[in-house]
Amino acid sequence: MSERFDESSDEMLSRRLAGELPRYAAPAHLRVTIVDAAAPSARRPAWLAPLLSAAATVMVLALAVVPVLPRIVPSEPAQRYVRAVVSEHSRTLMWGARHGEILPTALPWLTQESGIALPKVFVGDDRLEFITAEPVYLERQRGIAIHYRDVDGHILTYIALPAPGLTVPDPARVQIDRWRPALVRDSGFAAWVWKQGDVGCFLVSGMVSADDIERFKEYFRRVRSTTEPVLAY
Amino acid sequence: MVDPDFQRQALGHLDALYNFAMYLTRRPPDADDLVQETYLRAFRFSHRFQPGTHLRAWLFQILRNTFLTFYRVREREAPIAEEGVPEWDVPMFHHAPDDDGTAMDSHTDLERAMRRLPEEFRTVLLLAEVEGLPLEEVARVMACPVGTVKSRIFRAKERLRGLLRDYETR
Repeated sequence: MSERFDESSDEMLSRRLAGELPRYAAPAHLRVTIVDAAAPSARRPAWLAPLLSAAATVMVLALAVVPVLPRIVPSEPAQRYVRAVVSEHSRTLMWGARHGEILPTALPWLTQESGIALPKVFVGDDRLEFITAEPVYLERQRGIAIHYRDVDGHILTYIALPAPGLTVPDPARVQIDRWRPALVRDSGFAAWVWKQGDVGCFLVSGMVSADDIERFKEYFRRVRSTTEPVLAY
Repeated sequence: MVDPDFQRQALGHLDALYNFAMYLTRRPPDADDLVQETYLRAFRFSHRFQPGTHLRAWLFQILRNTFLTFYRVREREAPIAEEGVPEWDVPMFHHAPDDDGTAMDSHTDLERAMRRLPEEFRTVLLLAEVEGLPLEEVARVMACPVGTVKSRIFRAKERLRGLLRDYETR
C-alpha cells in the first residue's frame, strides 16, 4: 500500500483533486460555435411571410379553379366549327384514320353511324386520291369525314355534319364558280365552309399560301360538284 | 438578442464547463454538445439570471440538468437493456459504465478512479474540490440541502480512496 494513502486525509485528497486531476480545456472551435449560435440570424423582412403565404394561397386556388374553368372557345359559330374540324384533321394527320374502308362498301355503315347520307360522293380522281371515310363526333353532332390525298401529298379532310346553327360568315366568302364558300383559317390550316341544306360542310387542308389557295379552290370545285350530303334521319 | 456583457461573462467559464462536461460524458464530442446546449439555454434564459448571484454555479446547474435530462438517460439505457436489469433494480448511485474505445484516455489513477465514481459523487467532488465552489453553491447546482452535499463529499472521498487503494495494490 502506498505511503501516500496511509495518510490520505481529506485534506490530502482535496489537494490531489485540485492539483493533480487533469483539466480539459475547451477546444477553440467550441467558443466560435457558441458565439455563432448565439448571434441573431438575419431577420427576414416583416412583409415576406404574409406575401409568401398569400402567393401560396393564390397558387392553390388557381390549381383548384383552373380545371373547372370553361375552355376558351370562339363565340362565332363558324369559327367554332372550323376549330373542331381542324382538330379532327390534325388528328388524322398525326394518327391516321380510324376505320379505313373502300367508300362504296362503307357507305351504308357510315350513314348508319353518322346520320349523314351521301347520294353522291366524290371518290377521287387523277388529282385527289380517296384515302378513307369514317364517322366523327364534333360539336355534339355525329358527322362523316372523308380523307383525300393530292398528288403532292397534301391531306384534305371533308367533313359533313348537321349544323343548323351554322351561319357561313359573309366577309370570308369567296366566289368559286356558282358557289360562295367562306375561307376560314385556324391554327395554320385553311377550311372552306359552306352549307347544303342543314348540313354544314367543311374541306380542310394545310394549303394556306396564295398558290396553294388556287389549288385548294380547284379541290373545292371537285368535291362540291360531286358530293351531296343529306340528313339520313 | 443576448446581452453582450452577459455573453462575455458566461464565456469566461467555458473551460470550467467543458472540463466538467468531459468528466460527466467522458467523450469529447458529447462534451462539446453538452457545453453548446448549456450555453444556448443560458443565453435563451439569461433574463432569469439574477445579477449578483454566482453565474458560474448557475451555468454548472444548467449543464448538469441538461446532462441528466439527455445524456445520462442515453448512457444508462443501453447497459440496462443489454443486461436485462429491471428499472426498479437500478441503484440511485449507480456506477458509471465501463469504458469503451471512444472514451477519453485516463492519464492518472486519480482520473481513472474519478471516472469510476457514480455521477453524484463525481459532480460533488468536481464542483467542491476541483472548481472550489462553496457548499451552498454546490447544493444549489445539485438541488439538495447543504448537509446532503457534505455527506456526499464524505462518501465520495471514501469511495475514491478505496478505488485509489485498489489501483495501488495492483
